[in-house]
Amino acid sequence: MNGLERMHKALKREEPDRVPHFEFLVDKKVREAIKPGLSLEDFHTYMDIDGIGLPDKNTAWRYELVNEAENLYRDQWGAIVKFSTEAGGIPQEPVLKSEQDFNNYVMPDPDEDWRYDKLRETVKRFKGEKAIFCGVTDVFDIVKESFLGDVIMFMDMIRNPGLVKRISESVLNYQLKYIKNCIEVGADFFFINGDYAVTNGPMVSPKMAAEFLMPYLKSIVEYVHKERTLLIKHSDGLLWSLFDQIVATGVDGIHPIDPEAGMDMGEAKAKYGDKICLLGNIDCGPLLTWGTPEEVRQATKECLRKGGKGGGLICMSSNSIHSGVKPKNYIAMVETIHKYGKYPLEDHFDNLVVPGSGKWF
Amino acid sequence: MFDLKILKDSLIRGDIEKTEELAGEALGAGVPAKEILDKGLIPGLDEVGRRFQEGEYFFPELLVSGEAMKTAMARLKPELSKAGSTTVGKYVIGTVKGDIHDIGKNIVTMMLEGNGWEVTDLGIDVSTEAFCKAVRDSDFQILGMSALLSTTIPRLAETIEALKAEGLRDKVKVMVGGVSVTRTYAEQIGADAYGRDAVDAVTEAKRLMVKS
Repeated sequence: MNGLERMHKALKREEPDRVPHFEFLVDKKVREAIKPGLSLEDFHTYMDIDGIGLPDKNTAWRYELVNEAENLYRDQWGAIVKFSTEAGGIPQEPVLKSEQDFNNYVMPDPDEDWRYDKLRETVKRFKGEKAIFCGVTDVFDIVKESFLGDVIMFMDMIRNPGLVKRISESVLNYQLKYIKNCIEVGADFFFINGDYAVTNGPMVSPKMAAEFLMPYLKSIVEYVHKERTLLIKHSDGLLWSLFDQIVATGVDGIHPIDPEAGMDMGEAKAKYGDKICLLGNIDCGPLLTWGTPEEVRQATKECLRKGGKGGGLICMSSNSIHSGVKPKNYIAMVETIHKYGKYPLEDHFDNLVVPGSGKWF
Repeated sequence: MFDLKILKDSLIRGDIEKTEELAGEALGAGVPAKEILDKGLIPGLDEVGRRFQEGEYFFPELLVSGEAMKTAMARLKPELSKAGSTTVGKYVIGTVKGDIHDIGKNIVTMMLEGNGWEVTDLGIDVSTEAFCKAVRDSDFQILGMSALLSTTIPRLAETIEALKAEGLRDKVKVMVGGVSVTRTYAEQIGADAYGRDAVDAVTEAKRLMVKS
């Protein structure tokens, strides 16, 4: 079974030959420490990783330099972002200063051909072999970060909900066209990035989530399913109070069942494992950064035991393999998945959590 | 006799315009500004904080109430000035070098301002040197630092050490927060306080001012 077949089975909650693994981002520093001189693609082959991710922000958005000394760029929506020493663009100044600005706003064009260059390369190399995941930034995230800024966005959800919805509709239309084009080029699956929660709980009430978040996610899910592809929703944070709503949109999987927010893979499997695929949840905070390979092996085995029965598990980090992850910890994680993730899992574990049983331990 | 409960309720509802209007009406009715603050606005914001921490309010509700507090405070400010100080204190805040996500810092800033703090926001990706410079060049009572990533948390300790090395540590109280930061870690690195969330950060800032 190859990576694509493995991933497809897992997303459909069927048992593949082993639990699949992929990461949306594996930092170059970590890759170089593990096997110097390889391209990102060659590294995926070297490590026998089952899928490859293409974040839209990195591969399909345009940035225009504003101030080199300050590392400031204008993103394709018109917002000023800062590229930090560690991470991608961080919002500094949203594009809209007033509602009037949006009346005159011209959306970027998702049909520009260059946006799909990296995807074409990836398709040429891996189509039919590894699962190709296109990252799509959540509508909520784009409106919050690039159009209004977080504080104004949250206040406008109460004070000017009509504006938030108008902008969201426009961004949704862009994203649907982007998805359509990605499917035509050869994307296998979609991965919707953008947090709905922080460590203590959701950013907005379940009632507001139903009004401002879920309709746009649901529209994307429906489109993706109409085109016979599958979709994963990512959100960090303590997500339990929004979990039913996210599942109800029809998503095929949820990532990462955030361990830093106290979410447990066994609990997710017992409650939702008969409805969706679960992705995660090896802690890329303290564990992969500061832990030992033995601690990583133990945590990975626990993830497999809690989430693997019956398929429906893609074992991966809780966010990304960022530059702070110890290379030997990432190796320990992948080796453990390859060794102990082979089905039937009963050969390796007692007390597997049964999907949808309501019982975990 | 003006009923300050109406003002308090307006703040809890997050009605920005009404809260400002009622603060003005209370002044017009002869209620001292300090009493409007202590018996109307502050109890209102305390209730908002309670609802946030108990999961009844979320970021939108917290922020509109914070903004309502800020506008009402601006209305009271001339009167409060006559009676003495108008700000609780001066607070400088920033996210440490290399870090992403500034939402937590933005909400803490908003809540501090709502509670009468004069806040200087240094932004994100702030170097240790920039934090030290801010403390050296101004008279902030509290320095607040946020770190989200496990890779950037060590910057918190580095900054505290740099403040010590430059002889600035006694000049300012240091508060830390962020997803992976814990109270234990804050104590280990010698911070004066840890804020679990935005409401907690305001409570801790108040506590530090009482202590100092």
